[in-house]
Parts: sequence; structure tokens; C-alpha cells
Amino acid sequence: MDIKIPDSTLRKYLDTQATPEKIAEALTLCGPSVDRLHRLADDYVYDIEAITNRVDTASAFGVAREAAAILPLFGIKAKLINSPYNIKPNALPERRGGKLPLEVIIKDENLIPHFAAIVLDKLTVKDSPKEIKDQLELSGVRPLNNLIDITNYLTLCFGQPVHIFDYDKILGQQLILRESRAGEKLITLDGKTHQLRGGDIVIEDGGGRLIDLCGIMGGKLSEIDEGTKRTVLFVQTYNPKKIRRTSLYTQERTLAAQIFEKQPDSRLVIPTLIEGVNLLVKHASAVVAGDSIDYYFQKPIPKTIKLDLKQLNRLIGYDFQSKTTSTILTNLGFSVKKFSTDLLEVEVPTWRLHDIAIPEDLAEEIARVYGYFRLESKLPITANLSVTSDPLLDWEYQTKKYLSDLGFTEIFNYSLVSKELFERALMAQDHSVILTNPLSNEFEYMRSSLIPSLLMDLEKNQGKLDLPIRIFELSNIYSPKEHPTLTIATQGLDYRHAKGYLEALLQSLHLSNISFVPLTKDSNPWQKNQTAEIYSDKHFVGIYGAINPTIKTSFGLTDNVYLANLDFKVISELANTNYTYTPISDYPDMIEDITIQSNQSIGKILQLIKQESKLITKVIYRTSLINKHTFTIHFNDSKKNLTQNEVNKIKESLLKRSQKE
Amino acid sequence: MYLENEIKNLVKKVASLDSLSDLEKVETECLGRNGVFNLKFDQLDKLDKARLGKEFNSQKQRAVQIVEEKRNEINQKSERESFDVTIPGILPPIGHLHLITQAIKEISDIFSKIGFIRRRYPEIDTDWYAAEGLNIPKDHPARDDQETFYISENTVLTPHTSNGQLREMETIKTPPIKMINIGKTYRRQIDVSHTPMFHQFEGLLIDKNINITHLIGVGDYFVKNYFGKDRRVRLRPHHFQFTEPSFEIDITCGICAGSGRIKNDEKCRLCKSGWVELGGAGMVHPNVLKNGGIDSKKYSGFAFGWGVERVLSMKYNLPDIRNIYTTDLRILNQF
Repeated sequence: MDIKIPDSTLRKYLDTQATPEKIAEALTLCGPSVDRLHRLADDYVYDIEAITNRVDTASAFGVAREAAAILPLFGIKAKLINSPYNIKPNALPERRGGKLPLEVIIKDENLIPHFAAIVLDKLTVKDSPKEIKDQLELSGVRPLNNLIDITNYLTLCFGQPVHIFDYDKILGQQLILRESRAGEKLITLDGKTHQLRGGDIVIEDGGGRLIDLCGIMGGKLSEIDEGTKRTVLFVQTYNPKKIRRTSLYTQERTLAAQIFEKQPDSRLVIPTLIEGVNLLVKHASAVVAGDSIDYYFQKPIPKTIKLDLKQLNRLIGYDFQSKTTSTILTNLGFSVKKFSTDLLEVEVPTWRLHDIAIPEDLAEEIARVYGYFRLESKLPITANLSVTSDPLLDWEYQTKKYLSDLGFTEIFNYSLVSKELFERALMAQDHSVILTNPLSNEFEYMRSSLIPSLLMDLEKNQGKLDLPIRIFELSNIYSPKEHPTLTIATQGLDYRHAKGYLEALLQSLHLSNISFVPLTKDSNPWQKNQTAEIYSDKHFVGIYGAINPTIKTSFGLTDNVYLANLDFKVISELANTNYTYTPISDYPDMIEDITIQSNQSIGKILQLIKQESKLITKVIYRTSLINKHTFTIHFNDSKKNLTQNEVNKIKESLLKRSQKE
Repeated sequence: MYLENEIKNLVKKVASLDSLSDLEKVETECLGRNGVFNLKFDQLDKLDKARLGKEFNSQKQRAVQIVEEKRNEINQKSERESFDVTIPGILPPIGHLHLITQAIKEISDIFSKIGFIRRRYPEIDTDWYAAEGLNIPKDHPARDDQETFYISENTVLTPHTSNGQLREMETIKTPPIKMINIGKTYRRQIDVSHTPMFHQFEGLLIDKNINITHLIGVGDYFVKNYFGKDRRVRLRPHHFQFTEPSFEIDITCGICAGSGRIKNDEKCRLCKSGWVELGGAGMVHPNVLKNGGIDSKKYSGFAFGWGVERVLSMKYNLPDIRNIYTTDLRILNQF
């Protein structure tokens, strides 16, 4: 929650010689961060980040309280002044004239820990005095009229939201605070009509009309206008969960809602009411026209925490003594009940009850006010770990590096994709991974394949750079279990060159016995007759082949497009660095070309050749002419020189076998 | 003279040569083990061999000299020849690792040197690991900051790598735990500093007597190694449900070197008074340790979760974080 506080407002509650720059610096290091300090002609403004659990710092008084505790540690005197907690009930002006009736009915005490209201009469609606207007404007609030401005000013000063009704617009002078029923409608001050879901905190008047969406925004029906003479000033705290729920679904993230959902101190309700009345008397000629109504259903329950100094110092890494500790806590409003050299017993102030619960919370208070920047910087010494990281992670990097060294560019696409992208690839997206609250149609599914993304990448790059294009992505796919997948795409390379990269990669990972088995079933996005399943021994590793022409057209792709889609989990399990050393033969290779006539696939013929004899040490495919295929074969015997006769025998037997099969 | 014809032949052959490899071929033909000289000499009978032996040797010397002279001539010619050394080389295909991969490698290497083990945990996880088990109850305002994507009521795209904290505690069981969990994370936001998918690196260290000074130490170590040795860190108070105390970690700005001012005493536009935000950190909350099955009386620890894209954009001053996810190869091929 970001708030703006003028320096002039802050100094109403903080007596110090510190410059605004020094205050900003000290607060940032030890308290609420000052994101920026703006210097103006005759004032400064602090942009303050009031963090979620510190709603007590979302006001000028709250920030002053922090500064008063922090500045002394920078050697600067500072004192908290004009605390609302010191406003006494007798500061409320007496009623003058006749009593205006107001009946309050609260249907459920759990909705409202503290309820206070008072009827005022004889008000004049006009502009606020310059001082209030200026401070509101600096804090980012548009001044409207004195009545509304005073409610906003109270929030700026104390962090307690305040509402004001036009008394004459409340039918039957009756306020019924209750939970809404599903389907009820309410128009808020911003003119929006809300259809309520039920369970929201609302106020109904004697005419059965909803006049307030409590804690979030007032209702249009009881709005202050230029002619308002009589009002109800209204100060409460609400059940935070109810406020949060309503505020989220109505999308009314007002300042009031953001404060109420974080449980401001209920002890501020009456001081704020009294201060409000006094301001309205002063600036709107109000007179009190009724008794103050005060229902305090849930008084704060005092809380005491024991702080073991040894434990404190173990967590912070500093040697705090009980005296320093006690001073810091006292300056923050804690009261130290018991005090010894190794233990403090501390009572939590009411404005910190929801935030401070365990000794670690106190440790934070002490360490931050003392200043984290004063602590040492040390590298931890720990025992050796018995665990190692998942080899998958190393293989991933090694593979990415190898492919990029071969000339491939790595792409990161979003895991979130549109339904339309998969439709264009004629592929089915897994419906188990659809988001219930997507940002847009573009990011609706967690992709169950990388292929459509890479086809889109080729499409987007087409015409922008020379072919060939070589790209890859290594990422999880989701269905809904996460599965690491490597997809490689080339455009503008022929089948054998593209496949060569893939084979080089698989060799670099030392996958054994790679085979390519023709695809037997039609399956998108593949063109069946130019696609193969890849196996390492018996393990399915992935698919390599051409993209079906219809899909190519749907992405507007020209030239050859080949994809390899690999199961990287399997690959990482098969990959190894178990190198075996084979000695180099002392005898030279005999090298012969041989042409085999066969209707078998080249892969099968290669297998046949390799199986023929252990003396065949290397086979290189050269060329084919219809069904005549030429290979260069290396023969070697590591124990002796081979004779031409021996080689001829092997060749003859090979040719015979190839004709049989 | 004996072998005079062979010498003449050699002179003739050598005259037209201009490459060393051709010269070597001629040399072998003439003077090799099975060269013309040896063959001719072998054909002689014993008596002739004795008679002509001396002459054979001197002729062979002449032949060697002819070849040597030619070799020198070729070498000298090649040294005199003009050659344009500025002619461009023929490049092999040049590929490119993505910036994010490079950053993750750099980050995990930095942490591995001080004993942090690289991990990866699910991107799609239950609400327990991503929020509730991290001390963030349902309906808590702290959930606002997370902008979480949901697959179902109880299944989320993890909005941070902190879901790895409880999982790591469950895996290791007994500290020390020293994890650097790097993975994809997701939040419902897109603007110049946010992409719906991004990467975080989550450090978690749990052991006996771990305290704030150790977090400062590890933060310092990382920042100096990743950003440069003149960079400093500072901790600011903050709040996260799963750490207590909690911090925001800042590092000195790379543009104004932490002064907040650039040339002519102008305000540095990149930072807040000399500091830029790195990310959140804190001492692991006792409830989180408890949820992970670790005795908080015996052990303490710290955790941090920082953005990979964030540190990248800080290091290279990238104005729009969304550019990291470009698929334009003309850009990707620059890295």
C-alpha cells in the first residue's frame, strides 16, 4: 500500500530537528521505506510504502511514531507529539439544542468489533481551509468540500477511515447494520451499481434501502451534498475478511477497504470521532445534536511475549543487551513488564496486536530499529552436504550448449499459450491445464507440446533473415505433470543435414544403439512418410521428421521444415559419460567400396553390413541409384595384416546375404 | 656417368613444379625406398655394385641437392608472394544460448562455489506448497502481491520458487540444507517490468546457528560476483509471511555508483537515491520450518527469492523486461 505524507502533516506529530532527507533515509533503513522524497516550494512529500502487516504505519501519526523510535539511533533527538491516544473523552463538545434521534441496530456483533457514531447539526457545506486542502492535495486526495475533506484528513493523520452520512437522507432515522443477501443491489458514491453476492457488510435505513457498503464506500442514497445541514459522523472497524472479500469482487479497492482489511487499531475509533467532531465544529460550524453512540464488541486482548536474549542474538548474529533491547521496544510503544539480563517480558501495543505474536517478531523490531546496515557480513560455515543435484539439470545445460555450438539459437517461449495456436498446428491441447483466471486468450493454457510455439517462431522470423534457420527450445510441457522436452526445428536444410545435427547431439550424449523406425500411424503435426520414431536400444526417445504440408501452410512456412521432438527426461536418464577406451589397431585398414542392390531401407542394409563380420570396423554410406546403394567399408584385424583374400571372402558373403534378405 | 639420364629426368621434372607436395611426390619416385635410383642399383650384379658404388652415392647426393634447391626456391617464392590477410574467414554456423540460460548458468555456478545445490521443483503445485504451508492463509491480504494463476481451486502456477522450500525440507529432512532452486514462475501481470512467466532463483540455507549476518554475507558474495566487486548490498525492513524478520535487499546502482547523482549533480533516474531493489529475503519463519518438519528450536535459516530477468535487466540496463522474451532471431542472435 503506497501512501503520500506531506512533511508538514508529519511534523504535527513529530518534534525533531531532523531534515526531511535524514528522516527519509532513516525510515528507509529502519522502518517503512520512503520510495521517494519530493521537494516542493514550501513543503516536502514522502512516498511511503506501508507494508501489508503494518497498517499502523499508513498515516502521518503512524510514520511519526516510527521516526520517533528510529531517529535517536542516528543521534538525532525526536519526540512523538499530539498522539490521538491522548485524546480524552471529555474533549468531545457537549450537545447543544434539541436531540436528533438515531436508532442503531446491529444484527451481528461479529461484523463490527467497534462501532461509533454521532449526530451533528447546523453544518455549512463549503470549501475547506487552505491548510487542509493543501495537505490533502499533497497526499494525492482531491479536495471536495469541508465535510468530505475532514473525513479524508482524519484518515491521512490517523490511518482510521471515517464516513459521513446526510442525516436527512436516512429514512426513519434508523441504521440497521447487517450482512447483505445475495442479489441485493447498492449504488456506491462513484455511481457504480453493485449486485451483491451476500455476506457483505451493509447498512439499511428505516426505509429498507441500502445506504452504505460498509468499510468500502458509502451509498449514493445518503451522500453529502451542497445543501446538507445535518449529518451522522461514522467511525468503526470491521471484520477484515468480509471487507477484503467484498472489496475484491466488487473491484472497489478503496483506501478505506485496504486499511480495514488489515485490522487497524480499534482503540483509535473514539479519538478519531472526537477529533472529527472538533474539526467539523471548527470548519463547518457543526454542533453536537445527539449522544455519541459507542458499541465496543471486541476489545483488544492484551498480549505478552517472553523474549529470550540468547535466542534473539542467535537469530540476529549480534550481542544485544537487555537495556538496548528494552529502549528500542519502549520507543516503539511496547511496555516492558519484566526485565533481566537474559529475558524480557513485553506487552504488545494495541496497534501491533495482529502483527506481533512470537519472539521472532520482536527480534525483527529490535534488529531493524538498531539498523540492519550495522550488522556484519559473514559467509556461513556448514557441514558438507550428502545430496547432489539432479543430473537432468546438467544434461540440460550441456545439451543447450552443444546445440548452440552447432549453430542453433535457443528460444524461450511462454509456457502459456492460446487455444488458437494449437488449432493452427492441428494439435490437441491438454484440457487439464487450462487456467481458471487467465490474463487473456493469448495466455490461457499451459502448453502440452513445444511444437506449436516453435512453428510460430519460424513463422514470425520468416523473411527476416537468410535460411537456413536452426532453433531449439528445451522446456517443460504440462499434461498436467511437468515433462522436460527438447524440440529442435530447422528450416531450409535438407533431410540428411537436419538429421545429422540430431545424430551428432545423440552421439555427444552417448546414447547407445540409436535407430530410426518409420512412423506407422498418422499423427499431427508429422508428415507420416518422412517421419521416424527414434529409439536408443528399446527406449523411445522421440520423433524426427517433416511437418505435414497442411500445417506448414497454416503457418505460411516455405522451404523444408524438419522437427525433432525429444523426451528429455528419457534422454537425461540414458545419457552418460561412461567412455570405453578402444586401442588403435597397429595394422592399417583395408578400405573398399561396395555396391549392394537391395529393396531394404538404408538403415537395414547398414545393420546388415555391420553384423557381417567383426573385422568390419567402419561403414560410410556414400550414395544411391534407385535400389543400388554404395558404401565405403573399413576392414581391420587388430592382430595382423588382413589379406585381400580375407576381405574378398567377407564381401562375397555380404553380397550373398543382401540378396537373400 | 652412371645414372646421368635419371639426373637429367629429375632436373626436367622438377623445373616445372611449384608446390611442395608435388615436389615430395617426385622425390619419392626418384629417391624413395622403391625409387628409380634404388631400383636401378638393385638390378646390378655384385661386381658392378662394387665398381659403381661410389658413383651411385655421389649421383644420389646430386639428386638430393637438386630437390633441396627446388624446395628452397618454392619456399622463398611463397614467402615473397603477396597475400591478402584481411580476406574474411568462412564461418561455421554460429548458434546462441538464450540470455536466461546464460544467467541461470552464471547464478548456479556462483552459488555452487559456496556449496549450494541446484534444484528444481514443480511449476504447477498445490496451494499448500505455494502459499498455505508458507504461512499465507487463504483470504490473507498478502495473497494480493502474488497475483496467482489458478488451474483449480487447489492447484496453482507457482508465483514464486518458494514452493521449493517445504519440498526441500521434506527431501533432505535433517539440515544442513543448502539449496538454490531455479525455475519458472508465473504471475498475472504484464507491463514493462513484468512478464506473466519469469524465472526466480531461491536460496535456502538451514542449519544450526544461522543468523542475519549470514544472509548479508551470502547476499554480498552473490552481488559482488554477479554484478561486480564494487557493488554493495543493504537490507531494508519488509514483510513476507514466510520469513521473520523479512527484508528487501537493495544493491548500489550501477549507473550512479550509489550516489543517487549523475553528471552535473542531476538525479539518477534509474534508482531510488543510489539503490536498486534486488528482491526479498528473510529468516525462515518458525511456522514454515514446522510445516517442513524441522525443529525451529534447534535450527534456523534464511531464504531469498530473486528474479533471473530482474538481475539480467539490472546488469544490462534493459528498459523493458518483455524484450527478454522476444522470439526475433535478429535480436536473439546478438547474445
